[in-house]
Amino acid sequence: MSVSSNFIEFSKPFVEASKNVFETMIFTKLETQKPIIKKDSTSKGDISAILGVTGNLNKDGVEVPYKGMLVLSWPYETYLKVASAMLMETHTKYSSEIADVGGEISNMVMGNAKRTLAEMGYTSSMAIPSLIEGPAHNLTYPNGTTVILIPINSAHGPFYMEICYIED
Amino acid sequence: MALKADMKILVVDDMATMRKIIKNMLGQIGFTNLTEADDGAPAWQMIKDATELGIPYEFIVSDWNMPKMSGLDLLKHLRETPEYQALPFLMITAEAEQSNVVIAVKAGVSNFIVKPFSAQVLKEKIAKIFP
Repeated sequence: MSVSSNFIEFSKPFVEASKNVFETMIFTKLETQKPIIKKDSTSKGDISAILGVTGNLNKDGVEVPYKGMLVLSWPYETYLKVASAMLMETHTKYSSEIADVGGEISNMVMGNAKRTLAEMGYTSSMAIPSLIEGPAHNLTYPNGTTVILIPINSAHGPFYMEICYIED
Repeated sequence: MALKADMKILVVDDMATMRKIIKNMLGQIGFTNLTEADDGAPAWQMIKDATELGIPYEFIVSDWNMPKMSGLDLLKHLRETPEYQALPFLMITAEAEQSNVVIAVKAGVSNFIVKPFSAQVLKEKIAKIFP
């Protein structure tokens, strides 16, 4: 399956926004690995924040509706370190106290990416983030979409970004 | 208006994580009198109650997107009420589009901050509100 040029263009602001969010609020630089096309719907991490986006792409005077999805998926160990850094307190166990950390991060990444997407001709409306916890959980992607998986390394450990994009 | 450490501040955000982060940052800056609300609706009530008790809030730091009452609606309620027309209000949002800034300014926001942000940026924004 090939990936459209619009998909590649769409995914770049999310990578840049993640770097900005992690550097500013979690005090770590991110090192992104080569993106790959994901072939299954099993999460790579234990805790996934999922955030949908819809809107229109206006390119050369033509308006095309699109759907997208951002998934940030952390192994438990990375999530605990990220939450500890962000909240400036030590967390050694997943709990309700840190359950919305993933959602807040995905919210900030999406909000930040929106500004760049707007400059590129995308209108976008953000959904409310949801969180799934548990090893190898199932993720539901929009029908017919390709999923790009970007492994990311940080001082707090590895995690994964997934981006879906489909034009209607 | 000069900054004082015990200025009564209300932090409004539906995400517990962000309330904690903002309170941590305000604490780092030196503020000690911090209260929180998890939505604009309880915040509005808390602001009115505090005024009735004679210990009014002196500064509101609020998220924009909240499920029951948004930060923008909270700001509009305040600006429509004579006694809160000058209450300093810092709006925090994840959405960085210019149109949002214009809407907030028109509604009477004192300053505007886009996530992600550092304690230093928060301090600078507050300094502009309380020169």
